[in-house]
Amino acid sequence: MSSTEHAHPHHEGAQEFGHGGTGKYWAVFLALCLLTGCSFLTYFEMWHHAIPVSVSRAFMMAVSVSKALLVMGFFMHLIWEANWKWVLTVPAAMMAVFLVCMLIPDIGFRTYHYSSHRWNHTPQPIEQPAEQLEGAPASLQPGH
Amino acid sequence: MSQHHDDHHEHGHIQLEYQPALPIPNGKLCLWLFLSTEIMFFAGLIGAYIVLRFGAPTWPSPHDVHLSEPIGAFNTFVLICSSLSVVLALEAAKSNKTGLAKFWMCVTFLLGLSFLGVKAYEYKEKFAHGIYPAYPHGLLYDKPDVYYASAVKVALEDAAKECTTQIDLVDKSAADIDAAKSELEEAEKPEDKKKAEEKLAAAQKVNEQAVAMADTYKERRETLELLRNGLIQWNTRQATQTANPVEGQALLSSIAYTIQHPHEDEEELTRLVEEKGTLTTKLAELEKAEEKDPQEIALIQTRLKLIDYLTADNAEVLRHGVNHTYDWLDLPFVIPSGNMWASTYFLLTGFHAIHVLVGLIVFAVALPATLGVAKATFIEAAGLYWHFVDLVWIFLFPILYLF
Repeated sequence: MSSTEHAHPHHEGAQEFGHGGTGKYWAVFLALCLLTGCSFLTYFEMWHHAIPVSVSRAFMMAVSVSKALLVMGFFMHLIWEANWKWVLTVPAAMMAVFLVCMLIPDIGFRTYHYSSHRWNHTPQPIEQPAEQLEGAPASLQPGH
Repeated sequence: MSQHHDDHHEHGHIQLEYQPALPIPNGKLCLWLFLSTEIMFFAGLIGAYIVLRFGAPTWPSPHDVHLSEPIGAFNTFVLICSSLSVVLALEAAKSNKTGLAKFWMCVTFLLGLSFLGVKAYEYKEKFAHGIYPAYPHGLLYDKPDVYYASAVKVALEDAAKECTTQIDLVDKSAADIDAAKSELEEAEKPEDKKKAEEKLAAAQKVNEQAVAMADTYKERRETLELLRNGLIQWNTRQATQTANPVEGQALLSSIAYTIQHPHEDEEELTRLVEEKGTLTTKLAELEKAEEKDPQEIALIQTRLKLIDYLTADNAEVLRHGVNHTYDWLDLPFVIPSGNMWASTYFLLTGFHAIHVLVGLIVFAVALPATLGVAKATFIEAAGLYWHFVDLVWIFLFPILYLF
């Protein structure tokens, strides 16, 4: 089947997908359920006591990325697609990362430039000691 | 582009064979182009959430904002199941097993509906607790400041007015009964009599209900006035009179604590017990004084009454919070960064839910058709879209529910 035929509407329904049976989909499904279970482990108190928050977050993101790769690779068939997949996905992914990075200086680091007046109107943690916050005025909040 | 030299020599012109830019069907290409824009769209949204969340000095825990992690995990499972079912529908369609393809498509459709149903339940829970994405319905305040105290005072006064209206209904309905009775006596025509009888029955019904509820509303009004005078008025007054801003902030925070009881600790109870001791001594001194200040005495008595009320029955009201103790009362409450949380949560999950809805519409369009090999490309495109929706949720679940 030539590439022209492949794209022709007449042949669209009859094109050869050639990815084998459905067994691999069930295997991916089980893997996804298992990975979801892994990230849900972080919900339990036992996990909180044993694992530092930063490690826990890195673990959750690693699990999410693994799940995303499984879905994209197998369910979205990218693993079997030709090199065109890079043309569409890589620039979009780069742009996505760029968009997020552009938010960091002004949004992510916004509190770095807060004035004391601005801090007066900023929501601040009730329990966390104020001295832990860079630039935050000290405030004791009994009753919490 | 390729040239067919033989044809060129024979016919004297160039014949061109056009090749597609990418070796995939046009529909699939368009869908992937669309998905690439969607990647940027959701990356911007999720990225903005992450940047806002980690740049904020504080962020509410899922417990604070009534988010249920098991429900989120369940919805993740539902979407994973639907991703499997749509890919099985595609496989069945490619094998021309139309019945099986339709079955898996139906399963996908139902799972998508379940996801939306669970999401609707979650939204309902948020709204029931006064958490809205924006004003004017929201009861969320970021800080326990004077604006917050003022909002609670207004809410208490509104609720007290509502109670007064209900209590006044007893007298009003009694007057209506008298009016209906005299109307009945004066009526001559049967139609007028019937009308008057109906009026009388209605007024009697209202009167019965009003009398039955009068004590409840009187009790509620007393509680509301006690909270307004003994908590809001007192704490605000003390906060404005004190020279120490830290102490002033603590008094305002105490209002928020009493309304919602955000943490499992005994500090507020201890503080109230200590305050009661100090105020009792002060009250005794004021009562013994030669020049009595009846206004100050009344204020302290109200405050003491409130402390007794909050600490009665093993401090039941204080431990549970006023909002929780009285389900008939929705007072504004404080969750630091709660408004930012609500805005980002509803924006992210709302856009995701819209995408789920669009996917369901696509499935609903496909369901009546014969899902054979001729429809395989359509199912593949719909499936690709659906998997993308699943992909987005794969990232939303941990960052919204577990981080």
